[in-house]
Amino acid sequence: MALGAAWKQLSWFYYQYLLVTALYMLEPWERTVFNSLLISVAGMAVYTGYVFMPQHIMAILHYFEVLQ
Amino acid sequence: MSASSAAKWANGEAHHCAPNCAKPEKNAFWKNNRDCCFLDEQVHHGACNGGLYRRPFKESFEETPMLVAVFTYLGYGILTIFGYLRDFLREWKIEKCHIAREREEQKDFVPLYQDFENFYTRNLYMRIRDSWNRPICSVPGAKVDIVERVSHNYNWTFDYSGKVVKEVINMGSYNYLGFAENTGPCAEAAAEAAAKYGVGVSSTRQEMGNLSRHEELEKLVAKFLGVESAMTFGMGFATNSMNIPALAGKGCLILSDELNHASLVLGARLSGSTIRVFKHNNMQSLEKLLREAIVHGQPRTRRPWRKILILVEGIYSMEGSIVRLPEVIALKKKYKAYLYLDEAHSIGALGPWGRGVVDYFGLNPSDVDVMMGTFTKSFGAAGGYIGGKKVLIDYLRTHSHSAVYATSMSPPVVEQIITSMKCIMGEDGTTVGRERVQQLAANTSYFRRHLQDMGFIIYGNHDSPVVPLMLYMPAKIGAFGREMLQRNIAVVVVGFPATPIIESRARFCVSAAHTRAMLDMALSTISEVGDLLQLKYSRCRTVPSLDRPFDETTYEETEE
Repeated sequence: MALGAAWKQLSWFYYQYLLVTALYMLEPWERTVFNSLLISVAGMAVYTGYVFMPQHIMAILHYFEVLQ
Repeated sequence: MSASSAAKWANGEAHHCAPNCAKPEKNAFWKNNRDCCFLDEQVHHGACNGGLYRRPFKESFEETPMLVAVFTYLGYGILTIFGYLRDFLREWKIEKCHIAREREEQKDFVPLYQDFENFYTRNLYMRIRDSWNRPICSVPGAKVDIVERVSHNYNWTFDYSGKVVKEVINMGSYNYLGFAENTGPCAEAAAEAAAKYGVGVSSTRQEMGNLSRHEELEKLVAKFLGVESAMTFGMGFATNSMNIPALAGKGCLILSDELNHASLVLGARLSGSTIRVFKHNNMQSLEKLLREAIVHGQPRTRRPWRKILILVEGIYSMEGSIVRLPEVIALKKKYKAYLYLDEAHSIGALGPWGRGVVDYFGLNPSDVDVMMGTFTKSFGAAGGYIGGKKVLIDYLRTHSHSAVYATSMSPPVVEQIITSMKCIMGEDGTTVGRERVQQLAANTSYFRRHLQDMGFIIYGNHDSPVVPLMLYMPAKIGAFGREMLQRNIAVVVVGFPATPIIESRARFCVSAAHTRAMLDMALSTISEVGDLLQLKYSRCRTVPSLDRPFDETTYEETEE
């Protein structure tokens, strides 16, 4: 039951996303193109963050002289 | 009267919902930005300018929330990118092109379909086209039947499924007094006229098309408006576009409001006069233009203008705002200009006796030089009229293009107007007309108040039966139209080019034929759809209705 409510909420959020970005007016294949682009860009950003975050954090801590 | 005192009476003051104001304070604006949501009352900007207005003039045009504007531009940006993609695919024949394009032989000529309007039509309008041009198959009264259409290729072509959506609440027709009906005295009179005179007139007014009923109609219209004489035409748009050229010509100046209807703009351009545009409903801007015109005269020769004609409308149908008629008349008298008032939406819909915006403000009809209006909206018919002094109307009978070349009004339509006008005036012996006018006013204030309370951004004057509800985002235009039709309510949604590109809206027309139950149903549906589409943008921040009296375009800054 909770899964049903969560699914409803998620589909409402997806509908709002479609309305705000005007994807609502586009055909399904155009939506697929845009969503894939968006997810790939977001995925690349997350991956880059995952790979480089430890180095960045070490550098910050060194800069603030918390860690030698 | 010096300029500063003129600007002073033109400026209004804000006050807290007080219907009468004792003394005008100089420029005391209340800008309750953060605190307004905690106050119970809303700040209204009423202008009781030393007796010019008898009642507070409450207008509001809430500003667009920043986030909404950003997302609207984002939406249009994405649509534009995909528009270019689709155009590329069409150009390279990867996709079949359904829209008009140049022939192979014309490819090297000047391109016909490359401008923004055509790009917009191909890539944005077509996608949500099913909200417009819906065929109806019953009388457009308070409820209407709509023919159902489906599209299998994303709105390029439509098929009829064979079903009809019945009894849809009609919030889109210009049916202010509810005279769009197929039963009742008006319809019977029209049927009798069709039986007696036929339907076509087969001639122009000047030749054989002048029926005795036309003469009676014109006398009745003159009596209704309170003017000396009136003349009627077969088409409302043509009344404006064909008569303004007869009134103004080369060497005249036309001062036209920014948001005037296409018919007024066309008429002004056809006349060949110089046209200057003043900011919408902004009396400082109008006064500045008038003063400049009189001081400097015509552009190169510096001769005085032959005449100055001010073109305004009673109610502006896209904004729902009412013209500041007392101020316009005061300005026109001071600077000896002429006033052309287009009461297409306000005749029958405003005023305690339904006589339009002149009646609403309690002014003298002889102050307006040319009173124009249409019979399409409040009288349930078609056509237009012009009323004024007898000299003017006699001149127009011979010099108007519409009288000379256009077919005159059809007899059933004439009967419909005569019967409905007599009903409104009370001359048919009943109080039906008066009740309808009062019902419209009650419906208007009920509808507007509830929509504002729900949290939508509504533009316009609190007394105007035209209610624009702001949508802003392009996807919401299509979504709103479709969702409302699914819930059995027909609305008119408007986008570019009728409105500025980010200010798209849904325009409701309240009618006297709507019962309280229908309005409640409509309001609850609008609220439901508003929650679904997240349309309740209002942050109760009402901008003062006088536009920026302190910016560099007002006269006060440039005086002395």
